[in-house]
Amino acid sequence: MPEQPGIDAYAAYLPAYALDDTRLDPTGPARDGGRTRGVAGYDEDAVTMAVEALRHVAADTPAGRHLLLATTSAPYETKTSAGVVHEALGLDPGVTALDLRGHRAGASALDLVLRGVATAALADVRTTRPGAPDELAQGDAAAAFAGGGRAAVLLARAGHTTELLDRWRLPGERHDRVWDERFTAEILVAAGLDAARRALAQASLDAVDEVVVSSSNPRAAAALRKALGGTGGDASVERATGFTGVAHPGLLLAAALDEAEPGQTILLLSATEGADAFVLRVGDDVRAARGGPTVRAQLAARQRLGYGRYLRWRGLLDVQGPARPASPAPAAPPMHRRAGWKYRLEGSRCDACGRVTTPPGRVCASCGVAGSGATAVSLRDRTARVVSVTRDHLTTMPEPEVAIVVADVDGGGRLSAYVTDVAPGDVRVGMPVTPVFRRLWTTDSIHNYFWKLRPAPADAAPGKDTADGQ
Amino acid sequence: MASRRTTHDVAIVAMGCTPFRDHWNSSADDLLVDAVQECVGSLPDVTLDDVDAFWVGTQGSGMSGQTLARPLRLTGKPVTRVENYCATGSEAFRNAAFAVASGAYDMVMATGVEKLKDSSYSGLSAVFPPADGTDVDWTAPAGFSLLAPAYQAAHGIDEGEMRAAMTRVAVKNHANGARNDRAQFRRAVTAETVERSPRIAGQLGVMDCSGVSDGAAAAILVRAEDAHRYTDRPVYLRGMSFVAGSGAGLAADGYDFTTFPEVVTAAREAYEQAGVTDPAAQISLAEVHDCFTPTEVVLMEDLGFSARGKAWRDILDGRYDLDGALPVNTDGGLKSFGHPIGATGLRMMFECFTQLRGEAGPRQVPDARLAVAQNLGGQPGSCVAFVAVLGNER
Repeated sequence: MPEQPGIDAYAAYLPAYALDDTRLDPTGPARDGGRTRGVAGYDEDAVTMAVEALRHVAADTPAGRHLLLATTSAPYETKTSAGVVHEALGLDPGVTALDLRGHRAGASALDLVLRGVATAALADVRTTRPGAPDELAQGDAAAAFAGGGRAAVLLARAGHTTELLDRWRLPGERHDRVWDERFTAEILVAAGLDAARRALAQASLDAVDEVVVSSSNPRAAAALRKALGGTGGDASVERATGFTGVAHPGLLLAAALDEAEPGQTILLLSATEGADAFVLRVGDDVRAARGGPTVRAQLAARQRLGYGRYLRWRGLLDVQGPARPASPAPAAPPMHRRAGWKYRLEGSRCDACGRVTTPPGRVCASCGVAGSGATAVSLRDRTARVVSVTRDHLTTMPEPEVAIVVADVDGGGRLSAYVTDVAPGDVRVGMPVTPVFRRLWTTDSIHNYFWKLRPAPADAAPGKDTADGQ
Repeated sequence: MASRRTTHDVAIVAMGCTPFRDHWNSSADDLLVDAVQECVGSLPDVTLDDVDAFWVGTQGSGMSGQTLARPLRLTGKPVTRVENYCATGSEAFRNAAFAVASGAYDMVMATGVEKLKDSSYSGLSAVFPPADGTDVDWTAPAGFSLLAPAYQAAHGIDEGEMRAAMTRVAVKNHANGARNDRAQFRRAVTAETVERSPRIAGQLGVMDCSGVSDGAAAAILVRAEDAHRYTDRPVYLRGMSFVAGSGAGLAADGYDFTTFPEVVTAAREAYEQAGVTDPAAQISLAEVHDCFTPTEVVLMEDLGFSARGKAWRDILDGRYDLDGALPVNTDGGLKSFGHPIGATGLRMMFECFTQLRGEAGPRQVPDARLAVAQNLGGQPGSCVAFVAVLGNER
């Protein structure tokens, strides 16, 4: 248990794609621009984004804490999604994996992190009906937090619960239904102001250095930002990502922490199904507390996505695929036996020759010696180089083609893998790539998670991708 | 010594091979009956009763030896079903050869069959055991297409030169298939047709891929000293080797996708048994596993026909054309003759048998004396490989 309630480490994860045009007929007149939403790849979901957000901040989670996955888009209805995240992170079995559902779950998960009982990922994939007025106002993202005091300490918190029919969805439905937001804004603003004032009073502060407001209701968000004197940093991130659901308070807080100076105070207010307010003081080690790149850097590295691809990825457009059987569903016992390989990309390092065999096996692929106690070695944080590449034009994935490579891992080991977040034609022999946890396919209602490769950060040209089309 | 020639020499005295086609009206049973009847029917004094033991190779068109015993209603005979990826037909032949060479039987039959066209999918439809879901769902062309960029990078060849060599393989094999009534595709194609075909994987288009078809083939094997009892023109097995790769090429770093090490080993052993010291000069013709065009490019080097890095040039120079110095896939190959998995290895033998007996008609290679049949399965980095040397002299 941390002695001081607060945030020890944090990370944001923004998917690689940005959608800014939802015209079904692009030859028609352009709409008023300015809005962009983040879009998770077709191979991403709340679980994979949670793993990406948590992988650099959660490794040391001690037994006794909870690993929380807060989402409204859990890949399974009844199976605990956090269990997959727990396995991929290789956490101690004494850490309880738990899903939190509902739109308020993001703020609640953060609350539990700040109380020192949990490590949490807040992750959501959000859709609307094509053409909905708020289609570009929703977005996909994840954020992760581990309890402690390095990034920020908690000065005060206050919650306000109120029952409100705001956004809802029945099991099996795809998109939220939304009540008239002029009504819900009024309720949420009142709840938000109440929570914010109580938290500030409790912290004995009249004002803070930075106000961060997250709300499922954009009118409420605007009103609260104005009333509380925000600088607008939160709104500008939101215009680039959309409202990212459960992830949103975490994403905006992460963006604020990216830029905050030690000693500054932050009011984080989430006004969603009631309100949650947190007053934080930024810690001296806030820079070291960030896992992965900043929100700003991730926004700059995104690539533009066409509307047709977006619709296909989300299953909103039924496109004829190849005449090819579905990729095979994985079976439970082999997945369990080989959890180290499947979820953590652990090969075996030979005791005799020191070389790495993938998938791990009893006998070394290089020297043929049967290892008595070959060492598991995780390749997931390594860089690999493409040895050869192909483009599968008969892919069962919702794309015309995908890149498949064989790549050699720096330090030993070989991977055959799909490459993602890059145009297949841009993958070249020798290119550096790095593992990323993704959902390969879903067959027989079983999500098949495994590692893909994506261009290593050093290879990405910042700023280039944002302006490029597909 | 890794492997040696059998103590007793083995000869092929009869063969049969169905046309490879979309056999909508024939089952795997029908195709086996056709191939076996042609094979046995070519020996006037032999009936199926004279055959002591049988092997049937199929990748997925049947289970157990009953795949052959039932359609032919064989009674009281041993029949073994074998499977070894796309080298399944060769595996049936190999085990049958060992059976006569050992003296256990006097006359045996190797058969192979595949019925691919009953699936609504164009391609292979192998069913693998339940797994952890971590394998890439490779198509066969995707796996083999890895050869091209690696070969180009290793030998400093640009994409256009590689494309030209691959195109030449397809054009050549279709030209050969056009002279063969049993081939699936009996039409020459232009380079433009090959290069404009829809992309399948990497640089490979449909016209870089072998034909998906139905078919069956069969061979009767006896000990060499008995061969002239049945035919005046037996074909002798001079050397034979088979390697099942360890899969290290995909499981550890090192392998570079410019060669099939399994083929190199199998070829070395088969040549040694056959007394072949300079395959590029001594071999009259070769049937090789042109499942995809870059495979044939790489195989020319693995079999010792071209120097490393030079096969693409030799191909473009016409060295492997029907009228070239070393004709390759004179019957059209997998590309044009078609590739019903379990039958393919024996189909290669069938062409070698036909050529070595001087019966190949418009595609006859003059003075054919030694032929290579090379068959493989799996994918680069993790494959099984078979190489045989056949001759019309013992």
